[in-house]
Amino acid sequence: MGFLIPFFLAGLAALAVPVAIHLIQREKNTIIAFPSLMFVRRVPYESVRRRKIRHWALLALRLLALLLIVAAFARPFFRSGGVAAMAGGAREVVVLVDRSYSMRYGDRWTRAQAEARKVIDALGSADRASLVFFGTGAEVALQSVDDRARLAGALASATPGTEATRLSPALKVAATIVAESTRPRKEVVLISDFQKNAWTSNDEDRLPTGTAFTPVAVTDVDTRNLSVAPVAITRSRFENQERVTIASGVTNRGSQPASGVVLSLEVNGRVVETASLSVAPQASATAVFAPITLTPGAMRGVVRVGSDALDADNAYHFLLTPSTPVAVLVASPAARGADDTYLRRALAIGQAPRFDVATATVDGLTDEALARAQVLIVHDAPLNDAATARMLRFAERGGGVLLIAGPRAAWPQNAALPGVLADPVDRSRGEAGHLGGLEYGHAIFAPFRAARSGDFSSVRIYGYRRLVPAEGARVLARYDDGQPALVDRAVGAGHIAVWTTSVDLSWNDVALKPVFLPFVHQLVRTLAAFRDRPASLTVGQVAAPETAADAARPRVAVDPSGRPVPLDATRGDAFEVTMPGFYEVRQGGSDGSAPALVAANVDLTESDLTSVDPATITAAVTGTDEAGDPGASAAAAPRDEVTEQSQRVWWYLLLAGMLLLVGESVVASRMSGRAA
Amino acid sequence: MQLGGAIPGAQFVDPSVLARIGNLDLVARSVVDGVINGLHRSPYFGTSVDFAEHRGYVPGDDIRRVDWRVYARTDKYFVKEFEADSNSNFTVLLDVSASMAFGARISKLDYAKTLGACLTYLVHKQRDRVGVVTFDAEVVDHVPPSAKHLDVVLHTLDRARATRPGHLSAPLTKLAEHFGRRGMVVLISDLYDEPEAIFDALAPIRFRGSDVVVFHVLDPAELEFPYTDPSAFEDLETGEQMPVVPESFRDKYQALIRGHIDALTAKAAERGVDYRLLDTSKPLDFALYDYLSFRERMGRVR
Repeated sequence: MGFLIPFFLAGLAALAVPVAIHLIQREKNTIIAFPSLMFVRRVPYESVRRRKIRHWALLALRLLALLLIVAAFARPFFRSGGVAAMAGGAREVVVLVDRSYSMRYGDRWTRAQAEARKVIDALGSADRASLVFFGTGAEVALQSVDDRARLAGALASATPGTEATRLSPALKVAATIVAESTRPRKEVVLISDFQKNAWTSNDEDRLPTGTAFTPVAVTDVDTRNLSVAPVAITRSRFENQERVTIASGVTNRGSQPASGVVLSLEVNGRVVETASLSVAPQASATAVFAPITLTPGAMRGVVRVGSDALDADNAYHFLLTPSTPVAVLVASPAARGADDTYLRRALAIGQAPRFDVATATVDGLTDEALARAQVLIVHDAPLNDAATARMLRFAERGGGVLLIAGPRAAWPQNAALPGVLADPVDRSRGEAGHLGGLEYGHAIFAPFRAARSGDFSSVRIYGYRRLVPAEGARVLARYDDGQPALVDRAVGAGHIAVWTTSVDLSWNDVALKPVFLPFVHQLVRTLAAFRDRPASLTVGQVAAPETAADAARPRVAVDPSGRPVPLDATRGDAFEVTMPGFYEVRQGGSDGSAPALVAANVDLTESDLTSVDPATITAAVTGTDEAGDPGASAAAAPRDEVTEQSQRVWWYLLLAGMLLLVGESVVASRMSGRAA
Repeated sequence: MQLGGAIPGAQFVDPSVLARIGNLDLVARSVVDGVINGLHRSPYFGTSVDFAEHRGYVPGDDIRRVDWRVYARTDKYFVKEFEADSNSNFTVLLDVSASMAFGARISKLDYAKTLGACLTYLVHKQRDRVGVVTFDAEVVDHVPPSAKHLDVVLHTLDRARATRPGHLSAPLTKLAEHFGRRGMVVLISDLYDEPEAIFDALAPIRFRGSDVVVFHVLDPAELEFPYTDPSAFEDLETGEQMPVVPESFRDKYQALIRGHIDALTAKAAERGVDYRLLDTSKPLDFALYDYLSFRERMGRVR
C-alpha cells in the first residue's frame, strides 16, 4: 500500500485536536461562578491540569473520522496485484529497461532493476507483462507473460551492455506490444537514465491512445565522468617511411574540474607514452603524442585514461595500418602534348590517400601497366581503337578512367564511352565561360556542397570541347552555356569520366584556383573507388571483410573476450561489433597469415550523462503537454497516480469519514442533551 | 416550610422560605418570636427596665430623677437609677462584597441580611440600641446605634446589594473609632481573608471593650465542593477564571477550607471573640440560639 500525496499525512497531527477538546475545551465552555478562588488557587496547579478524558466513544468516533479524512487526502492505493486488478481490470504492462553502458554508472543498474522489480511485483494475477531491454536497439526478453517468476528471473540475469541509448526503438516495440494486446488497461513503464542524446522527437514514437506511460528516471544529481575522445591520426612520410601522429584527448563530462588526468597511449599492448592533462568541467583537453613509424602489419593502439564510475568509455581502441596509395597511370600523347605539371603536382601532394603516379604514352599502354593502376588518366591524347579497347576492359574490371579532352583529344566512336567528342568551342573572345550546374549529390562534388567548401564559379573557361553525352552518361558539371563540363558513365565495375577542357592553363585557369587540388584528389579518389578504412568502429556497426566470403575456407571471428562470433557467409561474413576492443578475423585453412583486426569502441555520445526531463518524453509519446486535459494526462501520469486513480480508495475513506462525523454529531447532541 | 429543631418548642423556618418573604421586619419578627416562645422564662427577658439602685445627688443631675420619697424619709437627695440606662449598643457589621451573592438556594447575603435583621429585632426588644454598617472594600452604609433606628437598620439591610469586591481589614479599621462605647458588634461575613488579618482588623473594636461575635456564613457548596464536571471557575469578586477538574480537586479543597475554619476558630478563641460558622442550608434559628447562648455566657453588659 502506498500514498500518492504522503505530505497530507502530516494532517494526522490534527488528531490531537479532539483529544485537546476532550481535555480542555469542555472546561472552557462551562463557567461556574464561585465566591472566591482563594482556596482553589492554593491547590497545586499540576493537580488542576491533570485531567481525565471522558466520553471515550465520542473521542474514538472523532479520531477515527479525522484519521479517515486525512488518509483520504493522502490518496492511498494498493500496490498488491489482487486489489489493483479488482480496481480496474487486467493490465498489459510493458517494462522498458535501459541497458546502455551508461547504466553501468554508479548503482544505476541496480536501481533500474529494483524499479523494474517493483513493477513486476505489482502485477496482478490477471495482468501480463513484457520485459524489453534496449540500447541502440530493443530486445524483447519476454513478451506478454503472466509468470512473475520468469519476469523476475529475466530481469535478474540481465546486465548492462555496451551500446548507446536510443529511446525510439524501445518505444516502437512497446507501442507494438500494447497495440496487439486485448487487455483493457495498458501501461508502459520506461526505466532509463534519460540521457539527452538518447532522445530525438519523433511523431512515430507515439503510444496508442489510452496507454498509461510512466517514465522512471534512474539518474544522479552530480555525475562525474571522464571519457577518451576519438583519436585523430595524421599521416606523414619521413625517410620513405610512413609515420602517424596520434592526437587524442580527455572529455570531462562532470561538474568538477579534473587535474592530473593521465592519458596513456598503448601500441600493441605496451604503453609508449603518457600525458598529464587538466580538464575543466564540461570541456576537453587534447594531447598529441610523438609520431610513430608504421610497420607493414596492423598495430593495435589504445588510448586510456584512469578509472572512474563509468569505465566503458575510458579506453579508445584503434588500428594503425599503413596507408594504401592509389595507383594512377597518366597517359600522355607520344608527341609533345599538353603540360601535365599541374596535374602531377596535385597528385603528388596527396597524403590521404597517397597517389602513386606512373606515366606512359597512350601508344605504350599495356595491360600490365593498367593492371597495376587503379585510375587511368588520358591527358589530352588521341586514342586509337586498341588503346580504347584496353581502356574499356580496364574500366569493366573496376578501374577508373579520366579522359581529359583538350584540343588534342580524340577517340573512336564507341557506344561504351561517355559521349561523342565534337569541335572545340572558343570562349577567348568576349566574356569567359564559367562552370555551373554542379551535381553536388555526386561523390565527386559532395565535399564541395557546403558553403565556402570550394568555389568553382571563379574558374574562367576560354575553350572546351563540345561533347554529346551517350545514353547512360551523367553530366556532373556544365558550362554557363549548358554544354557538359564533366560527364561520367559507369562501365562494367568501373567508371569513365570526361573532363571537356584542359587541366593546364591553355583553355582555363582552373589549375590556379584553390579548388583545383581538392577537386583533382576527389575526382581520382572517386574513380578509384577509394574507401578509407576507419581506424575503429563503433559498437553496433557492421564490420565487413575486404575480401568476399569463401565457402571452401570459412573465416572465423573472435570477439575481444575470446568468444567466437558467428559469421554469415551469405552476407560476406559481415558481423556486428558488440563490445569495445579488438576483433580478430582469421581465414580458414591456417595459412599462417596474421589475422585481420577490427577495433571497436563504445559510442562516445553515451558518455554525456546529461539527462532530459522525462516529462518531455511523456508529452511526446502520449501526445499531451503537461497541462493537458485530464483524460489525456491520466495516460501521462506517473504509475502510482494511475494506480490510485483506478482504485479511488480515497473516495470510500472520505465517505466513511463523513458518515462517522454525522454519527459523531448525533452522539454528541445526545450526550449534551443528557448533560443538560 | 417549618422544621422541627433541636430546641424544644421552637419552630424553625427554612431560610429559603424566609428569603421569599421579602419583608425583613416581618421575617425578623416571626423568627424572633418563634425563638422567644421556645425560650420562655428566659432569665434575661425584661430585666433591662427594672430599678437598679439609688445614689447621692450631685449637682448636674436631672432633678426629675430625684426620689422624693427617700428625701421625705431621710431628708437627703437621692437619685434613682434604672437598668434601662445600662443598655448597650448593638451593631451589625454586614459584609456586602460580591462573594456574598453566591448561593444556590439562598444567597449568603440574603441569609446574612435575615440574620442581621433578626438579631437587630431581638436586641431592640431588649431596649438595646441598634445600628448597622454595611461594607465591602469600604463602608457602604453606616447607621449609628440608636433605640429608634430599628426601621432604618432594617431598611438599610433590605437594600444592601453585593456587587463590588470586598476587603475586611480596611473598613473594619476605619470603623473601629465609631465603637467608642462598649457594646456588641456582630460581624456577618464569608471571611475570605487570612484569619490573622481578620482578627487584626477586629482587634481595635475588641480593644475598646465591645464584645464581638463573628458569624461565618458559607454556602454548602463552599464547604463540600459538590461539582463534578471539569469547568472554568470564575471568582465572583475579581472575575478571574481557572480550569478545575473537581474530581481530583475536591479533597484538597475541603482540606483547605476546613483548615481555614479551624484557623478562624483558633484565632477567635485566642482573641476572645465568639465565632460561629453558619451553613446557609441550616435554619436561622440556630444562629439566634447561638447568639442568645453567647449572651447567657457573657452575662449582662454594663
